Amino acid sequence: MSAITAPLRRTRPALERPGDRHLRVVEEPTPRHTLAYAIVMILVFAVAVFGAVSLNALAAGASVEARALDAHVTEAERVYAQLIADVAALEDPARVRAAALELGMVPPGPVRHLSLERNLPADGAVPDTRTPDAAADPLKPLLSAER
Amino acid sequence: MRRRPSVPRPARGTPVLRTGEQVAVRRIRWTLAIFAVLVLATTAKLVEIQVLDAADLAAVSERQRARTIELPATRGRIYDRDGDVLATSVQAATVYADPRAFRATETPDGLEVPAAAVAADVAAALAPILPQDAATLTERLEQDRHFVYLARQVPHEVGEEVRALGLPGIGVLVEPQRLYPAGPLAGQVVGFTDIDAEGLQGLESVYDTVLSGTPGTLLLERAPGGLDIASGVRELSPPEPGTDVVLSLDRDVQYVAELAAADALERFDAVGASIVVTEVGTGDILAMASSPGFDPNDRGDEDPSDRRNRAVTDVFEPGSTQKALTIAAAIEEGVVSPSTTRSVADSIRISGSTFTDSASHPTAQWTVTEIMERSSNVGTIEIAQELGPERLDAYLRSFGYGRPTALGFPGESGGLLRHHEDWWGTSLPTIAIGHGVAVSLLQLAQSYSTIANDGVALPPRLVRGTVGEDGRLTPVPSPAGERVISTTTAAAVRAMLEEAVHGERGTGGLAQVDSYRVAGKTGTARKPAEGGRGYSNDYIATFVGMAPADDPRVVVAVMIDEPRPIFGGLTAAPVFSEVMQAALVALRVPPEGAGDDLDSALQLAAEHAARIASAEVAAADAAARAVIEGGPGLVDGGEDSDPSEQAAGDADPP
Repeated sequence: MSAITAPLRRTRPALERPGDRHLRVVEEPTPRHTLAYAIVMILVFAVAVFGAVSLNALAAGASVEARALDAHVTEAERVYAQLIADVAALEDPARVRAAALELGMVPPGPVRHLSLERNLPADGAVPDTRTPDAAADPLKPLLSAER
Repeated sequence: MRRRPSVPRPARGTPVLRTGEQVAVRRIRWTLAIFAVLVLATTAKLVEIQVLDAADLAAVSERQRARTIELPATRGRIYDRDGDVLATSVQAATVYADPRAFRATETPDGLEVPAAAVAADVAAALAPILPQDAATLTERLEQDRHFVYLARQVPHEVGEEVRALGLPGIGVLVEPQRLYPAGPLAGQVVGFTDIDAEGLQGLESVYDTVLSGTPGTLLLERAPGGLDIASGVRELSPPEPGTDVVLSLDRDVQYVAELAAADALERFDAVGASIVVTEVGTGDILAMASSPGFDPNDRGDEDPSDRRNRAVTDVFEPGSTQKALTIAAAIEEGVVSPSTTRSVADSIRISGSTFTDSASHPTAQWTVTEIMERSSNVGTIEIAQELGPERLDAYLRSFGYGRPTALGFPGESGGLLRHHEDWWGTSLPTIAIGHGVAVSLLQLAQSYSTIANDGVALPPRLVRGTVGEDGRLTPVPSPAGERVISTTTAAAVRAMLEEAVHGERGTGGLAQVDSYRVAGKTGTARKPAEGGRGYSNDYIATFVGMAPADDPRVVVAVMIDEPRPIFGGLTAAPVFSEVMQAALVALRVPPEGAGDDLDSALQLAAEHAARIASAEVAAADAAARAVIEGGPGLVDGGEDSDPSEQAAGDADPP
């Protein structure tokens, strides 16, 4: 019987352990207020988001208001321009003449100018503050409602 | 930092046992590497976006978001001398359509997109609002285009009504529209613009750059859906409105002048009439009327020739109105004086041609004043012969003949006056009496304004100034005057012209104005034949004059084309009187003599009212009788027997 030697089995090398590891006292970590911190952060974030949205909304609102005002101004300018055109059309001499004729008016007679018996305030005369006298004031009959 | 103890490397082929720390380090390294790659890739992309392609991407972004709207500038207004509006702009509405909305289309993927609406239904909804029938609208809506106008520059209210319907494919734009509130008043002077507010004719064309202003822009940001982003960029570059232009025209005088021109056209069966009114001392044109006229608000049907400003574009031979200038030159040169007496026959033969006076008369001793008063051709020719062609030519050019005025009006004619070196034998006598020379009515008025202005020629002025955004009038520089004749000569000629109106033998009696002294001259000239050789049998009647004669404030020139009767003294003179009266009132020129007291003024007013009332009663009676008797319209017959026409018909021809 021959003896066959079995191959030498390798032995697993022993795991090296760090020789300088020592046990130490693990201190209980200082309790952190994680929840409060998270809430604060969420609040800050929420406020920031709310602020940004609010500012944006305010800006949008102001912009819309500005556009509305612009529209008002544009409309007012349009009406103003239209009124100017309307007034000018109403002042058209041909229209005025036609309206006057329709009302029974007639073309004026020859041009004459008046020599008044006394000056009017517009001519530099001192206004007469006395009680007007129909006899003394030649214009009164003309201005009177009785005529 | 404490150094980590080294781990002996195992021999090759020897299985390596890693500690947990080593595994962790390895994983971290891989993570870092991957992270680094990601960071590098991101950074590279950022560099590409933010640096390399930044400009292109920004441009693409701007194209997607930005929307630039052109804001049209408000065109400036045109005012008369008192600030009355002759031309202005209003906001009108323009209705357009996108015909794609009325036909089914396909997407690039082949999906069918149905039409948003039926064209006929939309047209039926719009037809009662827009000034078009439904068939025409339907035809437009079915065109193979992206944009069609349905109605341009309709009233703003119409646009609002269309907008309120909310029809698909239909839009409304705001567009400025040019309006002329007084219609045809001063139409040929003011001119008009096209539908895009660009000046085409008249002062609208001359002052187009001043009136039009500068358009502005509005830059907006819009969302992908097309809506404007309210809080986005909004850059406004406001438009600069056009500058307003203030004319020298007086609206009331212009109206009276146009009325008189139109009336003359009808009364004298003429083909045209023009009137120019100028203010002495300033050169301001108070009125420039031509008939037939047109309404710039309603163009299209009228004869295009009615749009021209005949007072500056048409030239004619001035006829006897020229004699005042010939005699003024002779007096200024010392050839004659107003009292110089001459033996005047009724005909004179020069270079084979015979020139005669309008009426035969025996040879008589007439002063220069009488020659003017009688409008003697022979007497004037004799004076011109002494003056000579060089001096006559020079004076006529000094009076403004032969060149356009400084007005710069489109189409203005400079008239026709040959240089004296090109004159032939009959030119001097012909030109001396206003033939063989052509002027515009404005040139004729300018020459008489020189006489009225004590011999100083002022260029006519149609624009007083401009009004900017500050609302203040910036006057145009006052034109410099140029002396043509002396004050003494001008006064002498005015006195002679006064005799031509108020003298016993004056030809311009119908030009008299109640309560004012008038100086003026009639003119009757044959029109050249159409072929350009010889004369036709048609006439031009003119009258030019000034008032008050001793200190003129206004010059009025009247030209009537082919009137019946032909004489200026019968046709142009009464028109002159009517217009001059209105101009003197408008300028508040006091009548001559002492004023009336109140009682006599009231008495006169009452008498005037009574006359008119009785005339109205008579007319009403006549009309009533005609109705009762069932006869022909006696009212028409009454109008035909207008006393003024009878007076004109009875007057002696000049």
